[in-house]
Amino acid sequence: METKLNTGRRLTLIAAALSATFATQAWGNDLPSMGEESSPWQVDVTYENHTVHREHAGLAKFRNTLQAELDKKVGDGWGIHSILRGSWDGVYRMNSSEYGKDAGGPIMLENISGVGGSFSVPHGGGVVNNATFPIPTNAFGFNLTANPNEGMRVLGDRWHATEGGVAFGVPVRPCDVDSRGCRDFGGYGKDGINGLEAPEFNKRFDFIRELYAKKTFNLADGKDLFLKVGKQQVVWGRTDLFRVLDVINPVDYSRNNIYDELSDIRIPMWIIQAEYRMGASDWMQDRNFQLVWNVDQFRANNLGQCGTPNVILDAGCFFRGMANLWDNGGTVANFAGGALATDFGPHQLGIRNVNLPAWSLSNTQLGAKYEGVTMNGLSFSLNALHYRSQLPSLHAFNYSPGELTNPADGSTTTVAKKMIAFDMHFPTVNLLGGSMDFQLPSVGAAVRMEGAMTWGEEFANSMRDELYSKNKVFRSVIGFDRPTFIPFISETSATLISAQLFYQHIFNHETQDAPFGKIGMVDWKDNFIGTLLIKGFLRNGTLSPQIIFAHDFQAQATAVAPQVEWNVSNDLKVTLGANYKLAEGRDRWKFDDCRACAPYTQFSYDPAGTVGANYGMTGMEPLGRFRAGPIGAAFKENDIFVRLNYKF
Amino acid sequence: MKKTMISLLPVVAAGLVGSAFAATEADVENTFNPYKAGMPSAPGVTPGTVITKANVDQFKDVLSVGLFKLLKDGAFEMKVGPTTQFMINSSYINATKANLNKTKLGSKAGENLTGYVAGRPFPEEPDAKDPRAGEKLAWNYKYGVNWGDGAVISPFYWRYRNMTTGQIEKTIKYDFHFLNFMHRTKDAPIPEFTPNPSGLYRAIYVKANEPQDLKNTQLLIQRFEDDSKLDDAYLYLGFQRRVRRLAQGQVTDSFLGSDLMIEDFEGYNGRVSDMKWNYKGTKNMLLPMWNHDELKLSDEFKEADGYKFVNYGGQGGCFPDATWQLRKVYVLEAVPVNPNHPISKRTFYMDAQLQNLNGAIDIYDRKGELWKAFSVGKSHPDHHLPVNKGSGIGIDDGVIMVDVQAKHCTTAQFKGQVDPKKAPPGLFQVQNLRGGD
Repeated sequence: METKLNTGRRLTLIAAALSATFATQAWGNDLPSMGEESSPWQVDVTYENHTVHREHAGLAKFRNTLQAELDKKVGDGWGIHSILRGSWDGVYRMNSSEYGKDAGGPIMLENISGVGGSFSVPHGGGVVNNATFPIPTNAFGFNLTANPNEGMRVLGDRWHATEGGVAFGVPVRPCDVDSRGCRDFGGYGKDGINGLEAPEFNKRFDFIRELYAKKTFNLADGKDLFLKVGKQQVVWGRTDLFRVLDVINPVDYSRNNIYDELSDIRIPMWIIQAEYRMGASDWMQDRNFQLVWNVDQFRANNLGQCGTPNVILDAGCFFRGMANLWDNGGTVANFAGGALATDFGPHQLGIRNVNLPAWSLSNTQLGAKYEGVTMNGLSFSLNALHYRSQLPSLHAFNYSPGELTNPADGSTTTVAKKMIAFDMHFPTVNLLGGSMDFQLPSVGAAVRMEGAMTWGEEFANSMRDELYSKNKVFRSVIGFDRPTFIPFISETSATLISAQLFYQHIFNHETQDAPFGKIGMVDWKDNFIGTLLIKGFLRNGTLSPQIIFAHDFQAQATAVAPQVEWNVSNDLKVTLGANYKLAEGRDRWKFDDCRACAPYTQFSYDPAGTVGANYGMTGMEPLGRFRAGPIGAAFKENDIFVRLNYKF
Repeated sequence: MKKTMISLLPVVAAGLVGSAFAATEADVENTFNPYKAGMPSAPGVTPGTVITKANVDQFKDVLSVGLFKLLKDGAFEMKVGPTTQFMINSSYINATKANLNKTKLGSKAGENLTGYVAGRPFPEEPDAKDPRAGEKLAWNYKYGVNWGDGAVISPFYWRYRNMTTGQIEKTIKYDFHFLNFMHRTKDAPIPEFTPNPSGLYRAIYVKANEPQDLKNTQLLIQRFEDDSKLDDAYLYLGFQRRVRRLAQGQVTDSFLGSDLMIEDFEGYNGRVSDMKWNYKGTKNMLLPMWNHDELKLSDEFKEADGYKFVNYGGQGGCFPDATWQLRKVYVLEAVPVNPNHPISKRTFYMDAQLQNLNGAIDIYDRKGELWKAFSVGKSHPDHHLPVNKGSGIGIDDGVIMVDVQAKHCTTAQFKGQVDPKKAPPGLFQVQNLRGGD
């Protein structure tokens, strides 16, 4: 209902923005003047069409983007910079059976044991239900009229079969067509078709991608104070793809998963940035101290709404399915006894609340960086940041009198342990880190390094009653860039070879062997991800073939992304490309799903009825996505694409 | 020919003396005013002469190898103008006098100078018998007046052209800023900026403003006083918003797809110690030097102050529509020390008066075949923008870089401004790249 009310406003905003961005350079002179020492507005307008075809799914993107970049000097040394961006993705109408109003359908869920052996049941047809459970006051079962078996897909079917694990139905249609499980998970998750196809036109005015004022104040002794105030991106660190220090702005993975430049998918925030540029000293060639105060209301990473083409880690589908389970109940495959499809009722399991931090002074985020160049040419930074995690953490709340219901006896006052009923939180995190780069003349390479330690991040942990734990994390990246003459690519231009190795270590990592499998923290204690970019430059750089490999060592998943970029003219660029994923040993991703947890005495596996035990049954859902990583969880999403960029 | 020989006699004599004895005030006068005894001459080369495919053979001796080939191929016609004085500013000349004979070469090629303070370190005429004469000229270039203590080229239009079809493949609009941190002779602070713990000698800061895909791309090159230290080079990619330190190999690679590598900037943008320098003799040759305000200029790019850029024509639009003049040049060969360098040799035809390296250059590929012909045309500063009047600096005005193998060229049209206010030191720090847009 809320979405429908917004539609008219959204369309008005779209019309206003498109009419603005269609204007060209000449139009820039008609913008209002802003001071005697000012310069005219400089306006650059670009158009992009990005069309993607996905194996087994068909059209996965037909996005048209208009972007206007505006610059103006407004006098007294101040300058204004703005980027306006509006896009419209036709995929939701052009491939509506996959991503639009006709997506999904009735589903069947696994039931691997019981009378009649292994078979499937429809959503709403669980073997364990209100009628079959022996306790008369049980609360199993749900209203199939409120939660019908239509417009659904089985959780995780985009990247794995159920294979004896747990699964449930996930509504996949846009939220104006089907509102089940729709929540604001932090800037995504409740959009109707208009919001999905034109994502910038939302309540946060994302079509104003950047808008800031900047000025350099000349101080005594040649020192400067640089101020930049407004909606902006603040980029820390020296590496590509990996976000070790580059965590000030959240990221919109719904735009193109991990395959867009970060500058196109960082979500700009309202930030005050001040930089004291001290220049050289007797020991340092350059010294700068930066303060970054993110005064904007919190935003999370956009992980993609379920039912859309880019749902990183398939997390948005897990969240939507779980929210629907909480609201309406539903059938869960292979659950009771680890084998029986079970019809849960509302308020028994799922995701209840999303606790997005409201705006308050104490919720603003603060960073500081000292960056310098030593007299020997080592360029380095020291970084500190107090921020909110942009990834959600699910806390099992275990007790909510009058609300959280024990399905076995219908009680709403029982205190549970390890109950898979969650509230979503975004914890406070503190980060200390640094970066540096230097040359290695002996091998003709430049080296980039980043490292950071965080305190306060939270991870799924099925050994804890709240099903999460806080852990310190260390992350680092080392990168090598080396231009190399590869004659078969070009005899006149060097080919850039750029390799990076990312490492993550989780401190106080907890796992334990339980009777049916391992329990504890699903994230790998130590993991490495490597990337390799090979980029050639042909025909005076107008033709640039490249290939990127990315390999997640623990997930044993690989992405290969070849592309050719052709600058047809100064104003027109065409890019053809693909990305293809490979994944070996997918059983490695399976992990404890807490179906053998004992939140209440009735579900205890031991005769004493101990609550809180976990016997450790495993499956791909819900936690396998953390082991598969963004490459493994998308391994069935092989794309080819064409992208056209034109500057007016 | 006889006349030429006679006019060069005092020069040769001065060179011989210079090799045997310390440089004198006369050497200083001669190096900054090589035309005191008269302008150079060569048979048939007179103002108004037009060298074409038909008559180029008779001018072979006054042309670089690359330019001769291009003329022979009919790629353009060369109009000859009068030889004019390009007097360097008095502060640099005075610094040369004040520090005469203080500079000593290192004990072997590749080692740093000692005793250098300011001005032209080796004002004496090069001597063919001096095995290190080439190296001395290279040092003269490194510490040459070049763009002075601080200057900017803004804007700087750089174009990639298909010589065969005439298609303009790309136009990039840059700003190029230059700053000397040390050995300054004209603009405060003199002689250097302090503190300067790394010993930065000079830096170039480049910012691309157009086209959209390169907008905000920035390049910073820092050269050190210690010639054994590698340059530091940083690239800020606007589309990535990240500063990347460039590996050494990237300065010898095509810069943003052009026919130039970073090492080609200003004629030669590397360390003295990166090359083996050989002085091959002194000649009179045609170099692209003119009075900007006397040229037929382009109406293509509009500037608010009415400034117009050098017009381009000839095959593929690769050549400036400007005049060339006979100059006294030192022929200087530079062979890369690094055997993996993408070129095998450059031959510089160094203007003896300015001692820049970019008048005419032949660049040879790894197989030893002519690869590129490179020239940077200069205007007399008093015939350029008002801000340049009296600067005593040859104003780089237009570039020809022709890949004779690929039939492709890169041209550049400049609005050079010798204005130290537009080259503040803060612009040449890495943080300036990060703190921009």
